[in-house]
Amino acid sequence: MEKIYIGVDVGSVSIKVVAIDENNEVLFNSYVRNVGQPIDTVKDELAKLHNELATKEIGGVGVTGSGRQLLGYILGADVIKNEITAHATATLQFHPDVSTIFEIGGQDSKLIIINDGTITDFAMNTVCAAGTGSFLDHQAQRLGIKIEEFGEIALTAKRDVRIAGRCTVFAESDMISKQQYGFSKAEILKGLSKALVRNYMNNLVRGRKLKPVFVFQGGVAANIAIKKAFEEEVGHEVIVPKHYDIMGAIGIAMLAKDEMKRTGNSTKFKGFEVSEEKFETTSFICKACPNECEIIQIKANGKVIAMTGDRCGRYSNSVI
Amino acid sequence: MKIGIPKALMYYFYYPFWKTLFESLGFEVVTSDDTSKSILDIGVKEAVAEICVPMKVYTGHVLNLLDKSVDYIYIPRFVSLRKGIFMCPKFMGLPDMIKGLFDGIENKILTHNIVSKSTDISEFHNYTVFIDKLGVSRKDLKNALKKARDKWLEFRTLNKQGYDINELLTSDKPKKYEGDITIGLIGYVYNVYDRFVNMDLLNVFRKLNIKVVTFDMMEERIIQRQLKKFKKNMFWEFTNMLLGTAYEFMERDDIDGIIHITAFGCGPDSIVEPFLTIDSEKHKKPFMTLRIDEQTGESHVITRVEAFTDLIRIKKYKAEKTVEGVI
Repeated sequence: MEKIYIGVDVGSVSIKVVAIDENNEVLFNSYVRNVGQPIDTVKDELAKLHNELATKEIGGVGVTGSGRQLLGYILGADVIKNEITAHATATLQFHPDVSTIFEIGGQDSKLIIINDGTITDFAMNTVCAAGTGSFLDHQAQRLGIKIEEFGEIALTAKRDVRIAGRCTVFAESDMISKQQYGFSKAEILKGLSKALVRNYMNNLVRGRKLKPVFVFQGGVAANIAIKKAFEEEVGHEVIVPKHYDIMGAIGIAMLAKDEMKRTGNSTKFKGFEVSEEKFETTSFICKACPNECEIIQIKANGKVIAMTGDRCGRYSNSVI
Repeated sequence: MKIGIPKALMYYFYYPFWKTLFESLGFEVVTSDDTSKSILDIGVKEAVAEICVPMKVYTGHVLNLLDKSVDYIYIPRFVSLRKGIFMCPKFMGLPDMIKGLFDGIENKILTHNIVSKSTDISEFHNYTVFIDKLGVSRKDLKNALKKARDKWLEFRTLNKQGYDINELLTSDKPKKYEGDITIGLIGYVYNVYDRFVNMDLLNVFRKLNIKVVTFDMMEERIIQRQLKKFKKNMFWEFTNMLLGTAYEFMERDDIDGIIHITAFGCGPDSIVEPFLTIDSEKHKKPFMTLRIDEQTGESHVITRVEAFTDLIRIKKYKAEKTVEGVI
């Protein structure tokens, strides 16, 4: 039976589930907003995957993204890895000659530099989320525009308007005053796109010399105005890959595949029954020491299967 | 008499000295508890708002010691550990900053200036204030300083042999940790060794099978040799040490990458950072900055360290493969 490999990317804003075959062809993909119930969302998406690909054998499972540890545990993942490595793995598959990857997600943005097919440098946003998808979401909402239409509308702008991009609070007050001056929504949106890219260059690129080929991925890559702003900034074409919004999930699925081939082990995947189990998350404050950690406890069908959040390992080590 | 020593800032560099000094003078030494959420919270609440997190943590430790009915809290004013080079101004103002916390705390503070020719802070003239305030004789003080110095040099010798400071301070049988890759960790002792503030970074490295080398493990003459290459040095003692160590790491083949751990808003580090960013690239050493502040979620630290080590391992294995291919 043909083997498939599942990749799950649990981001702060969205959850991506994919299945690839031996040749890295994407057989299943889904991209859904993370509405605060990541376990349920992943369960639902896995059930869909199972429906579509019921005849295939699961060769391995990989989990990435900020929620990777917990979900990896619940699913029985073979590989749990950070999203930087996952993203670069997928990009190198589809664009082997890539040198610069711009990745902008919901709450963080990354710059990955590739030399001869190897990651040689990366940067992530530090203290603030001004240059990320959440920032655009928030501003689009303020202007009463759907995030999906953001890019198209921005491209119709006839004039340039400068908006402060360093901080959401400043951007907002800047936007309000520019609107009062009579700039159109389109012009404001274009200004925001440029502000985001300027902020990205300032915070992440920080004077690095960037070389083509440029690839732009992550959820924000759907926004054509941002792509254009990047192109103007680097003075070169910027490629948005076909699977731009699920690259992390594809990458982690590929890493799972490599790992399984390397070790020859069979997958630890707990099976699709996992999607029928009832999960319940509770939390409590541990009073054993002055750290007062918030312990998160996950139950499957009433049985505690994972605990996390403790600094000392008192709880997280107690559940195997 | 009970002397309290806050487990923060220079504690990680001088505790063996201070402990021996006060115990030899016949006093009991009490330290504050390990940094915890409640110590951080109270420090953040009580300290000046604009200051860096290590200073806020220190404030938390001072307040923690007040609950332990100590007679004095020892807060020396580190001014200079080398002629013409000073400590960060926050260290110079530290006793005053603590005095400003609330009325009456002044009587609890034991302080004096430390102006020294080197990091060996045992020079007698710095401690004469003890004679009146603690009622000790000159002779006893001299003897105690000598004992403290011996103990500290012993600690530093082991430290320079590659034992990390937490091992030396917490274990009778300190261990050295190895790994398949080695990272040069650039950061002040209170950022590298405070497990709470840095999300137990050394343990994160250990789990990923990474060996760590820090500035405190370096011979000072090696650091000084590197610093001679600069037209002029930084104004701050430990900043210079970090800088010299980082340049040594850039040149060493056994260091696979360099990580700079810095507290958000650190002034001296903001001057070090561009040097490291630009020159590590020239030396083709992978380099990354980890910024710590009040946050307690550890996932951002783990993600960055993991990705950084992936990058190093891929590079290393690839290089080895090429070598194999040639053979």
